[in-house]
Amino acid sequence: MDCEFVPSVCSYCGTGCGVLFEVIDGRINRTLPLKSHPVNQGKLCIKGWNLHEYINSYMRLKGPLVRENGRLEKATWDEAVNQAARRFTRIKEEHGPDSIGVLVSAKITNEENYLAQKFTRAVIGTNNVDHCARL
Amino acid sequence: MDMVKAAKELLLQDKVDIFLGYRKLDGHQIPHGFTKAHVDDLDQLEISLNRYPLEKIACDLAQKDPALKIGILARDCSQRALNLLYTWDQLNPENIETLTVNCCPSPLSTHGDCSYLTPKPTGDYKKAHGVDYNDSPKDFLANHDSGERLSRWMYEFQKCIKCYGCRNVCPVCFCKECSLEHPNLVEPGVLPAEVPIFHLIRATHMAGRCIDCGLCEDACPAHIPLRMLYREVNDAVSDIFGYVPGDHIEKSPFSIIGKTVELTPAPMDV
Amino acid sequence: MTVKRIAFVQELLKFMGLEGRLHLEWISSAEAQKYVDVVTKFTEKIRNMGPNPLRAINEMKKAG
Ligand code: SF4
Ligand code: SF4
Ligand code: SF4
Ligand code: SF4
Repeated sequence: MDCEFVPSVCSYCGTGCGVLFEVIDGRINRTLPLKSHPVNQGKLCIKGWNLHEYINSYMRLKGPLVRENGRLEKATWDEAVNQAARRFTRIKEEHGPDSIGVLVSAKITNEENYLAQKFTRAVIGTNNVDHCARL
Repeated sequence: MDMVKAAKELLLQDKVDIFLGYRKLDGHQIPHGFTKAHVDDLDQLEISLNRYPLEKIACDLAQKDPALKIGILARDCSQRALNLLYTWDQLNPENIETLTVNCCPSPLSTHGDCSYLTPKPTGDYKKAHGVDYNDSPKDFLANHDSGERLSRWMYEFQKCIKCYGCRNVCPVCFCKECSLEHPNLVEPGVLPAEVPIFHLIRATHMAGRCIDCGLCEDACPAHIPLRMLYREVNDAVSDIFGYVPGDHIEKSPFSIIGKTVELTPAPMDV
Repeated sequence: MTVKRIAFVQELLKFMGLEGRLHLEWISSAEAQKYVDVVTKFTEKIRNMGPNPLRAINEMKKAG
Protein backbone atom coordinates (compact mmCIF):
# COMPACT_ATOMS: atom_id res chain seq x y z
CA MET A 1 0.00 0.00 0.00
CA ASP A 2 1.28 3.44 -0.94
CA CYS A 3 0.60 6.55 1.07
CA GLU A 4 1.99 9.88 0.08
CA PHE A 5 1.20 13.51 0.74
CA VAL A 6 0.89 16.12 -1.94
CA PRO A 7 0.95 19.83 -1.11
CA SER A 8 -1.46 21.89 -3.15
CA VAL A 9 -3.59 25.02 -3.06
CA CYS A 10 -7.28 25.06 -2.23
CA SER A 11 -9.27 25.89 -5.32
CA TYR A 12 -12.50 26.92 -3.61
CA CYS A 13 -11.88 30.63 -3.14
CA GLY A 14 -9.48 33.46 -3.80
CA THR A 15 -7.72 33.09 -0.45
CA GLY A 16 -5.68 30.21 -1.73
CA CYS A 17 -4.97 28.23 1.42
CA GLY A 18 -2.27 25.61 1.36
CA VAL A 19 -3.61 22.06 1.61
CA LEU A 20 -2.06 18.65 1.86
CA PHE A 21 -3.71 15.73 0.14
CA GLU A 22 -3.42 12.31 1.70
CA VAL A 23 -3.09 10.02 -1.31
CA ILE A 24 -3.56 6.30 -0.65
CA ASP A 25 -2.85 4.06 -3.62
CA GLY A 26 -3.30 6.92 -6.04
CA ARG A 27 -6.60 8.09 -4.65
CA ILE A 28 -7.06 11.23 -2.57
CA ASN A 29 -8.49 10.13 0.74
CA ARG A 30 -8.28 13.13 3.05
CA THR A 31 -7.38 16.81 3.03
CA LEU A 32 -5.24 18.35 5.75
CA PRO A 33 -4.16 21.96 6.15
CA LEU A 34 -0.57 22.64 5.16
CA LYS A 35 0.94 23.84 8.41
CA SER A 36 3.91 25.63 6.90
CA HIS A 37 1.87 27.57 4.35
CA PRO A 38 2.14 31.32 4.90
CA VAL A 39 -1.45 32.07 3.91
CA ASN A 40 -3.46 29.79 6.19
CA GLN A 41 -0.84 28.67 8.74
CA GLY A 42 -2.36 25.27 9.29
CA LYS A 43 -6.01 26.29 9.26
CA LEU A 44 -8.77 25.74 6.71
CA CYS A 45 -12.42 26.57 6.33
CA ILE A 46 -15.04 23.89 5.89
CA LYS A 47 -14.68 23.94 2.10
CA GLY A 48 -10.96 23.37 2.20
CA TRP A 49 -11.30 20.49 4.67
CA ASN A 50 -13.61 18.72 2.22
CA LEU A 51 -11.67 19.35 -0.99
CA HIS A 52 -11.13 15.65 -1.65
CA GLU A 53 -14.86 15.09 -1.90
CA TYR A 54 -15.41 16.84 -5.18
CA ILE A 55 -12.30 15.34 -6.69
CA ASN A 56 -13.67 11.88 -6.05
CA SER A 57 -17.31 12.75 -6.73
CA TYR A 58 -19.06 10.54 -9.25
CA MET A 59 -20.94 13.63 -10.41
CA ARG A 60 -17.73 15.25 -11.54
CA LEU A 61 -17.63 16.40 -15.15
CA LYS A 62 -14.80 14.60 -16.89
CA GLY A 63 -15.39 15.66 -20.51
CA PRO A 64 -17.47 18.06 -22.59
CA LEU A 65 -21.23 17.50 -22.79
CA VAL A 66 -23.60 19.19 -25.18
CA ARG A 67 -27.31 19.53 -24.51
CA GLU A 68 -29.32 18.23 -27.41
CA ASN A 69 -33.10 18.04 -27.28
CA GLY A 70 -32.94 18.58 -23.53
CA ARG A 71 -30.44 15.81 -22.89
CA LEU A 72 -26.75 16.09 -22.16
CA GLU A 73 -24.76 14.06 -24.67
CA LYS A 74 -21.05 13.34 -24.71
CA ALA A 75 -19.22 15.41 -27.31
CA THR A 76 -15.71 16.21 -28.45
CA TRP A 77 -14.10 19.48 -27.45
CA ASP A 78 -14.37 20.78 -31.06
CA GLU A 79 -18.07 20.03 -31.21
CA ALA A 80 -18.70 21.62 -27.83
CA VAL A 81 -16.68 24.76 -28.50
CA ASN A 82 -18.21 25.25 -31.95
CA GLN A 83 -21.69 24.77 -30.58
CA ALA A 84 -21.07 27.33 -27.84
CA ALA A 85 -19.57 29.80 -30.31
CA ARG A 86 -22.54 29.42 -32.69
CA ARG A 87 -25.09 30.01 -29.97
CA PHE A 88 -23.25 32.95 -28.40
CA THR A 89 -23.02 34.60 -31.83
CA ARG A 90 -26.71 34.12 -32.35
CA ILE A 91 -27.64 35.53 -28.93
CA LYS A 92 -25.35 38.50 -29.53
CA GLU A 93 -26.88 39.17 -32.96
CA GLU A 94 -30.45 38.82 -31.80
CA HIS A 95 -30.30 40.52 -28.38
CA GLY A 96 -27.10 42.56 -28.32
CA PRO A 97 -23.84 41.92 -26.43
CA ASP A 98 -25.22 43.17 -23.10
CA SER A 99 -27.55 40.18 -22.99
CA ILE A 100 -24.50 38.09 -22.12
CA GLY A 101 -22.65 38.11 -18.82
CA VAL A 102 -19.56 36.22 -17.73
CA LEU A 103 -18.81 35.02 -14.21
CA VAL A 104 -15.28 33.84 -13.62
CA SER A 105 -13.96 31.74 -10.84
CA ALA A 106 -11.26 31.50 -8.23
CA LYS A 107 -10.69 27.94 -9.36
CA ILE A 108 -8.80 29.12 -12.43
CA THR A 109 -5.52 31.01 -12.59
CA ASN A 110 -4.98 34.75 -12.75
CA GLU A 111 -3.99 34.50 -16.38
CA GLU A 112 -7.11 32.57 -17.27
CA ASN A 113 -9.19 35.14 -15.43
CA TYR A 114 -7.47 37.88 -17.40
CA LEU A 115 -8.25 36.05 -20.63
CA ALA A 116 -11.86 35.63 -19.61
CA GLN A 117 -12.37 39.36 -19.05
CA LYS A 118 -10.56 40.15 -22.30
CA PHE A 119 -12.83 37.71 -24.08
CA THR A 120 -15.88 39.30 -22.50
CA ARG A 121 -14.91 42.86 -23.32
CA ALA A 122 -13.14 42.48 -26.65
CA VAL A 123 -14.89 39.52 -28.25
CA ILE A 124 -18.39 39.59 -26.82
CA GLY A 125 -18.33 43.33 -26.36
CA THR A 126 -19.87 43.81 -22.92
CA ASN A 127 -18.65 44.95 -19.53
CA ASN A 128 -20.77 42.31 -17.83
CA VAL A 129 -17.93 40.40 -16.22
CA ASP A 130 -17.55 39.57 -12.56
CA HIS A 131 -15.61 37.29 -10.26
CA CYS A 132 -16.56 35.20 -7.25
CA ALA A 133 -13.78 36.75 -5.15
CA ARG A 134 -15.82 39.97 -5.17
CA LEU A 135 -18.70 38.33 -3.36
CA MET B 1 21.13 9.30 11.90
CA ASP B 2 20.11 6.25 13.94
CA MET B 3 16.50 6.96 13.26
CA VAL B 4 16.98 6.39 9.53
CA LYS B 5 18.82 3.15 10.14
CA ALA B 6 16.16 1.89 12.50
CA ALA B 7 13.37 2.76 10.08
CA LYS B 8 15.20 1.12 7.20
CA GLU B 9 15.61 -2.04 9.26
CA LEU B 10 11.92 -2.14 10.06
CA LEU B 11 11.10 -2.03 6.35
CA LEU B 12 13.88 -4.31 5.09
CA GLN B 13 13.18 -7.01 7.68
CA ASP B 14 9.48 -6.84 6.77
CA LYS B 15 8.53 -5.86 10.29
CA VAL B 16 6.38 -3.13 8.77
CA ASP B 17 4.86 -2.64 5.32
CA ILE B 18 4.87 1.13 5.50
CA PHE B 19 6.61 3.65 7.73
CA LEU B 20 4.92 6.95 8.51
CA GLY B 21 7.34 9.80 9.06
CA TYR B 22 8.08 13.21 7.63
CA ARG B 23 10.12 14.47 4.71
CA LYS B 24 10.73 17.78 3.03
CA LEU B 25 8.89 18.44 -0.22
CA ASP B 26 8.91 21.81 -2.01
CA GLY B 27 10.27 23.38 1.17
CA HIS B 28 7.48 22.03 3.37
CA GLN B 29 7.98 19.43 6.06
CA ILE B 30 5.12 17.04 5.41
CA PRO B 31 4.20 13.47 6.32
CA HIS B 32 5.17 10.62 4.05
CA GLY B 33 4.58 6.88 3.93
CA PHE B 34 7.96 5.24 3.27
CA THR B 35 7.93 1.76 1.71
CA LYS B 36 10.40 -1.03 1.11
CA ALA B 37 10.31 -0.42 -2.65
CA HIS B 38 11.76 3.04 -2.13
CA VAL B 39 13.67 2.40 1.04
CA ASP B 40 16.39 4.92 0.18
CA ASP B 41 13.83 7.71 0.41
CA LEU B 42 14.29 7.26 4.14
CA ASP B 43 17.54 9.19 3.89
CA GLN B 44 15.27 12.24 3.70
CA LEU B 45 13.43 11.28 6.88
CA GLU B 46 12.81 14.27 9.09
CA ILE B 47 11.32 14.69 12.52
CA SER B 48 9.59 17.90 11.42
CA LEU B 49 8.65 20.78 13.63
CA ASN B 50 5.15 20.72 12.20
CA ARG B 51 3.10 17.94 13.66
CA TYR B 52 0.42 16.17 11.70
CA PRO B 53 -1.91 13.47 13.06
CA LEU B 54 0.16 10.48 11.90
CA GLU B 55 -2.01 8.20 14.07
CA LYS B 56 -5.08 9.31 12.16
CA ILE B 57 -3.30 8.51 8.91
CA ALA B 58 -2.43 5.09 10.33
CA CYS B 59 -6.16 4.56 11.04
CA ASP B 60 -6.97 5.51 7.44
CA LEU B 61 -4.48 2.91 6.22
CA ALA B 62 -5.69 0.25 8.66
CA GLN B 63 -9.23 0.81 7.50
CA LYS B 64 -8.24 0.02 3.93
CA ASP B 65 -6.16 -2.99 4.95
CA PRO B 66 -6.61 -4.22 8.53
CA ALA B 67 -3.62 -6.56 8.24
CA LEU B 68 -1.21 -3.82 7.18
CA LYS B 69 1.79 -3.49 9.45
CA ILE B 70 2.52 0.16 10.10
CA GLY B 71 5.58 1.85 11.51
CA ILE B 72 5.20 5.28 13.01
CA LEU B 73 7.56 8.01 14.05
CA ALA B 74 6.13 8.67 17.47
CA ARG B 75 6.36 11.68 19.72
CA ASP B 76 4.98 11.59 23.23
CA CYS B 77 1.57 12.73 22.05
CA SER B 78 1.59 10.07 19.31
CA GLN B 79 2.23 7.42 21.95
CA ARG B 80 -0.74 8.62 23.96
CA ALA B 81 -2.91 8.75 20.85
CA LEU B 82 -1.88 5.21 19.89
CA ASN B 83 -2.68 3.89 23.38
CA LEU B 84 -6.08 5.44 23.13
CA LEU B 85 -6.71 4.08 19.64
CA TYR B 86 -5.70 0.59 20.83
CA THR B 87 -8.11 0.94 23.73
CA TRP B 88 -10.94 1.83 21.37
CA ASP B 89 -10.05 -0.96 18.91
CA GLN B 90 -9.24 1.44 16.12
CA LEU B 91 -5.75 0.06 15.69
CA ASN B 92 -4.29 -3.31 16.53
CA PRO B 93 -1.17 -2.90 18.67
CA GLU B 94 0.28 -6.03 17.08
CA ASN B 95 0.37 -4.25 13.73
CA ILE B 96 2.03 -1.09 14.95
CA GLU B 97 5.72 -0.46 15.46
CA THR B 98 6.86 2.85 16.85
CA LEU B 99 10.17 4.65 16.67
CA THR B 100 10.13 7.17 19.47
CA VAL B 101 11.65 10.58 19.03
CA ASN B 102 12.99 13.01 21.53
CA CYS B 103 9.97 15.13 22.16
CA CYS B 104 8.77 17.04 25.18
CA PRO B 105 11.68 18.01 27.43
CA SER B 106 11.94 16.28 30.79
CA PRO B 107 14.58 16.03 33.48
CA LEU B 108 16.12 13.28 31.32
CA SER B 109 16.15 15.19 28.05
CA THR B 110 16.40 18.92 27.78
CA HIS B 111 16.04 19.05 24.03
CA GLY B 112 12.75 18.44 22.23
CA ASP B 113 11.58 18.54 18.62
CA CYS B 114 8.11 19.98 18.80
CA SER B 115 6.37 23.14 17.70
CA TYR B 116 4.58 23.09 21.04
CA LEU B 117 7.55 23.96 23.15
CA THR B 118 7.05 27.69 22.74
CA PRO B 119 3.78 28.71 24.39
CA LYS B 120 1.20 30.42 22.21
CA PRO B 121 1.06 34.18 22.72
CA THR B 122 -2.29 35.51 23.94
CA GLY B 123 -3.19 39.03 22.83
CA ASP B 124 -4.33 41.78 25.21
CA TYR B 125 -7.93 41.77 24.03
CA LYS B 126 -8.16 38.03 24.47
CA LYS B 127 -6.64 38.36 27.93
CA ALA B 128 -9.24 40.96 28.89
CA HIS B 129 -12.33 39.38 27.33
CA GLY B 130 -11.57 35.83 26.35
CA VAL B 131 -9.64 32.85 27.64
CA ASP B 132 -5.85 32.75 27.82
CA TYR B 133 -4.36 29.80 25.91
CA ASN B 134 -1.86 29.22 28.67
CA ASP B 135 -4.11 29.62 31.71
CA SER B 136 -4.52 26.53 33.82
CA PRO B 137 -8.15 25.44 34.16
CA LYS B 138 -7.88 25.53 37.95
CA ASP B 139 -6.65 29.15 37.95
CA PHE B 140 -9.33 30.12 35.48
CA LEU B 141 -11.96 28.66 37.77
CA ALA B 142 -10.48 30.33 40.85
CA ASN B 143 -9.96 33.77 39.31
CA HIS B 144 -13.30 34.36 37.61
CA ASP B 145 -16.84 34.24 38.96
CA SER B 146 -19.47 32.25 37.13
CA GLY B 147 -20.88 35.16 35.10
CA GLU B 148 -17.42 36.07 33.91
CA ARG B 149 -16.57 32.47 33.06
CA LEU B 150 -19.68 32.28 30.92
CA SER B 151 -19.06 35.56 29.15
CA ARG B 152 -15.43 34.73 28.47
CA TRP B 153 -16.24 31.34 26.98
CA MET B 154 -19.12 32.74 24.99
CA TYR B 155 -16.77 35.37 23.58
CA GLU B 156 -14.52 32.56 22.41
CA PHE B 157 -17.23 30.22 21.11
CA GLN B 158 -19.05 32.89 19.14
CA LYS B 159 -16.04 33.23 16.88
CA CYS B 160 -16.42 29.64 15.67
CA ILE B 161 -16.79 29.39 11.89
CA LYS B 162 -17.88 25.75 12.11
CA CYS B 163 -15.06 24.49 9.95
CA TYR B 164 -15.05 21.16 11.82
CA GLY B 165 -11.27 21.44 11.75
CA CYS B 166 -10.97 20.59 15.44
CA ARG B 167 -12.73 17.30 14.80
CA ASN B 168 -11.11 16.60 11.44
CA VAL B 169 -7.57 16.94 12.71
CA CYS B 170 -8.07 15.21 16.05
CA PRO B 171 -6.35 11.82 16.21
CA VAL B 172 -8.99 10.46 18.58
CA CYS B 173 -12.10 11.65 16.71
CA PHE B 174 -12.75 8.57 14.66
CA CYS B 175 -16.55 8.10 14.79
CA LYS B 176 -18.25 6.97 11.60
CA GLU B 177 -21.22 9.13 12.43
CA CYS B 178 -20.34 12.28 14.30
CA SER B 179 -22.76 13.92 16.71
CA LEU B 180 -21.59 17.30 15.46
CA GLU B 181 -23.32 16.47 12.17
CA HIS B 182 -26.49 15.20 13.76
CA PRO B 183 -29.30 17.58 12.69
CA ASN B 184 -31.09 17.25 16.04
CA LEU B 185 -28.04 18.41 17.96
CA VAL B 186 -26.36 20.85 15.62
CA GLU B 187 -28.50 22.44 12.96
CA PRO B 188 -26.85 21.92 9.59
CA GLY B 189 -25.98 24.86 7.37
CA VAL B 190 -26.43 27.46 10.09
CA LEU B 191 -23.83 30.07 10.94
CA PRO B 192 -22.70 31.28 13.38
CA ALA B 193 -22.44 27.87 14.98
CA GLU B 194 -24.94 27.22 17.73
CA VAL B 195 -23.04 28.10 20.86
CA PRO B 196 -22.19 26.76 23.28
CA ILE B 197 -23.83 23.45 22.32
CA PHE B 198 -21.43 22.69 19.44
CA HIS B 199 -18.42 23.07 21.71
CA LEU B 200 -19.97 21.41 24.73
CA ILE B 201 -20.82 18.32 22.68
CA ARG B 202 -17.25 18.06 21.56
CA ALA B 203 -15.93 18.81 25.05
CA THR B 204 -18.11 16.04 26.47
CA HIS B 205 -16.83 13.57 23.89
CA MET B 206 -13.26 14.49 24.69
CA ALA B 207 -13.77 13.50 28.32
CA GLY B 208 -11.72 10.35 28.82
CA ARG B 209 -10.53 10.60 25.24
CA CYS B 210 -8.51 13.75 24.53
CA ILE B 211 -4.80 13.03 24.79
CA ASP B 212 -3.84 16.70 24.92
CA CYS B 213 -1.89 16.93 21.69
CA GLY B 214 -3.13 20.41 20.91
CA LEU B 215 -3.64 19.82 17.19
CA CYS B 216 -7.23 21.07 17.40
CA GLU B 217 -6.16 24.39 18.86
CA ASP B 218 -3.53 24.72 16.13
CA ALA B 219 -6.13 24.09 13.47
CA CYS B 220 -8.76 26.45 14.82
CA PRO B 221 -9.04 29.49 12.56
CA ALA B 222 -11.00 31.31 15.28
CA HIS B 223 -8.20 30.95 17.86
CA ILE B 224 -10.49 29.29 20.40
CA PRO B 225 -8.40 27.83 23.26
CA LEU B 226 -9.74 24.32 22.71
CA ARG B 227 -6.80 22.56 24.27
CA MET B 228 -7.35 24.44 27.51
CA LEU B 229 -11.05 23.50 27.45
CA TYR B 230 -10.33 19.82 26.96
CA ARG B 231 -7.66 20.02 29.65
CA GLU B 232 -10.30 21.12 32.10
CA VAL B 233 -12.57 18.35 30.91
CA ASN B 234 -9.88 15.79 31.56
CA ASP B 235 -8.89 17.34 34.87
CA ALA B 236 -12.47 16.58 35.89
CA VAL B 237 -12.16 13.02 34.59
CA SER B 238 -8.94 12.45 36.45
CA ASP B 239 -10.27 14.07 39.66
CA ILE B 240 -13.50 12.07 39.64
CA PHE B 241 -12.35 8.78 38.13
CA GLY B 242 -8.58 8.81 38.38
CA TYR B 243 -8.37 8.15 34.65
CA VAL B 244 -5.86 9.75 32.30
CA PRO B 245 -6.58 9.06 28.61
CA GLY B 246 -3.73 7.56 26.65
CA ASP B 247 -1.64 6.93 29.74
CA HIS B 248 -1.84 3.22 29.14
CA ILE B 249 -4.23 0.75 27.53
CA GLU B 250 -7.23 1.03 29.78
CA LYS B 251 -10.89 1.63 28.98
CA SER B 252 -12.46 5.00 29.70
CA PRO B 253 -14.77 5.12 32.75
CA PHE B 254 -17.55 6.27 30.41
CA SER B 255 -17.36 3.11 28.33
CA ILE B 256 -17.50 0.68 31.26
CA ILE B 257 -20.89 -0.15 32.64
CA GLY B 258 -20.84 -0.62 36.38
CA LYS B 259 -18.73 0.87 39.09
CA THR B 260 -15.21 1.99 38.50
CA VAL B 261 -15.44 4.39 41.41
CA GLU B 262 -18.02 4.90 44.13
CA LEU B 263 -20.06 7.98 43.31
CA THR B 264 -23.17 9.36 44.92
CA PRO B 265 -25.25 12.13 43.40
CA ALA B 266 -24.13 15.51 44.66
CA PRO B 267 -26.58 17.14 47.10
CA MET B 268 -28.55 20.13 45.86
CA ASP B 269 -27.08 23.32 47.21
CA VAL B 270 -29.71 26.00 47.41
CA MET C 1 -23.36 5.20 34.24
CA THR C 2 -25.78 8.06 34.82
CA VAL C 3 -24.11 9.22 37.99
CA LYS C 4 -20.72 9.24 36.23
CA ARG C 5 -21.99 11.30 33.37
CA ILE C 6 -23.95 13.73 35.51
CA ALA C 7 -20.99 14.22 37.85
CA PHE C 8 -18.87 15.06 34.84
CA VAL C 9 -21.38 17.35 33.12
CA GLN C 10 -21.89 19.23 36.41
CA GLU C 11 -18.15 19.95 36.45
CA LEU C 12 -18.18 21.06 32.81
CA LEU C 13 -21.13 23.38 33.34
CA LYS C 14 -19.45 24.87 36.36
CA PHE C 15 -16.39 25.60 34.28
CA MET C 16 -18.57 27.39 31.73
CA GLY C 17 -20.24 29.41 34.46
CA LEU C 18 -23.56 27.56 34.33
CA GLU C 19 -23.41 25.69 37.62
CA GLY C 20 -26.36 24.63 39.71
CA ARG C 21 -28.78 23.98 36.87
CA LEU C 22 -28.37 20.23 36.72
CA HIS C 23 -29.28 17.86 39.52
CA LEU C 24 -29.47 14.10 39.92
CA GLU C 25 -31.45 12.28 42.62
CA TRP C 26 -32.37 8.61 42.98
CA ILE C 27 -36.11 8.30 43.69
CA SER C 28 -37.94 4.99 43.72
CA SER C 29 -41.52 4.69 42.50
CA ALA C 30 -42.57 4.16 46.14
CA GLU C 31 -41.15 7.48 47.28
CA ALA C 32 -43.89 9.84 46.18
CA GLN C 33 -43.20 12.34 48.93
CA LYS C 34 -39.49 12.49 48.15
CA TYR C 35 -40.31 13.11 44.49
CA VAL C 36 -42.56 16.03 45.39
CA ASP C 37 -39.98 17.48 47.76
CA VAL C 38 -37.08 17.25 45.33
CA VAL C 39 -39.00 18.68 42.40
CA THR C 40 -40.38 21.54 44.50
CA LYS C 41 -36.98 22.34 45.95
CA PHE C 42 -35.30 22.25 42.57
CA THR C 43 -38.00 24.35 40.90
CA GLU C 44 -37.65 26.94 43.60
CA LYS C 45 -33.91 26.96 43.29
CA ILE C 46 -34.04 27.46 39.52
CA ARG C 47 -36.68 30.15 39.84
CA ASN C 48 -34.45 32.03 42.26
CA MET C 49 -31.51 31.72 39.90
CA GLY C 50 -33.52 33.39 37.16
CA PRO C 51 -33.68 32.53 33.46
CA ASN C 52 -30.86 30.75 31.66
CA PRO C 53 -28.33 33.44 30.66
CA LEU C 54 -27.69 31.61 27.38
CA ARG C 55 -31.19 32.38 26.30
CA ALA C 56 -30.58 36.10 26.49
CA ILE C 57 -27.34 35.71 24.59
CA ASN C 58 -28.99 33.68 21.85
CA GLU C 59 -31.91 36.11 21.52
CA MET C 60 -29.43 38.95 21.22
CA LYS C 61 -27.68 37.03 18.47
CA LYS C 62 -30.94 36.39 16.61
CA ALA C 63 -31.85 40.05 16.84
CA GLY C 64 -28.49 40.71 15.19
S1 SF4 D 1 -9.78 26.63 2.68
FE1 SF4 D 1 -11.53 28.03 2.60
S2 SF4 D 1 -10.67 30.08 2.88
FE2 SF4 D 1 -8.98 28.70 2.30
S3 SF4 D 1 -8.85 28.84 0.05
FE3 SF4 D 1 -10.16 27.11 0.52
S4 SF4 D 1 -12.23 27.95 0.47
FE4 SF4 D 1 -10.85 29.70 0.65
S1 SF4 E 1 -5.86 18.13 22.06
FE1 SF4 E 1 -7.46 18.38 20.50
S2 SF4 E 1 -6.75 17.26 18.70
FE2 SF4 E 1 -5.55 16.55 20.46
S3 SF4 E 1 -6.66 14.76 21.22
FE3 SF4 E 1 -7.39 16.52 22.37
S4 SF4 E 1 -9.19 17.18 21.26
FE4 SF4 E 1 -8.07 15.87 19.88
S1 SF4 F 1 -16.85 15.03 18.00
FE1 SF4 F 1 -17.63 13.29 19.15
S2 SF4 F 1 -18.96 12.17 17.71
FE2 SF4 F 1 -17.66 13.57 16.51
S3 SF4 F 1 -15.91 12.28 15.89
FE3 SF4 F 1 -15.34 13.38 17.78
S4 SF4 F 1 -15.85 11.97 19.43
FE4 SF4 F 1 -16.91 11.26 17.61
S1 SF4 G 1 -11.74 24.43 14.68
FE1 SF4 G 1 -12.45 26.24 15.78
S2 SF4 G 1 -13.69 27.37 14.29
FE2 SF4 G 1 -13.44 25.30 13.48
S3 SF4 G 1 -15.25 24.19 14.21
FE3 SF4 G 1 -13.63 23.84 15.70
S4 SF4 G 1 -13.95 25.43 17.26
FE4 SF4 G 1 -15.08 26.06 15.43
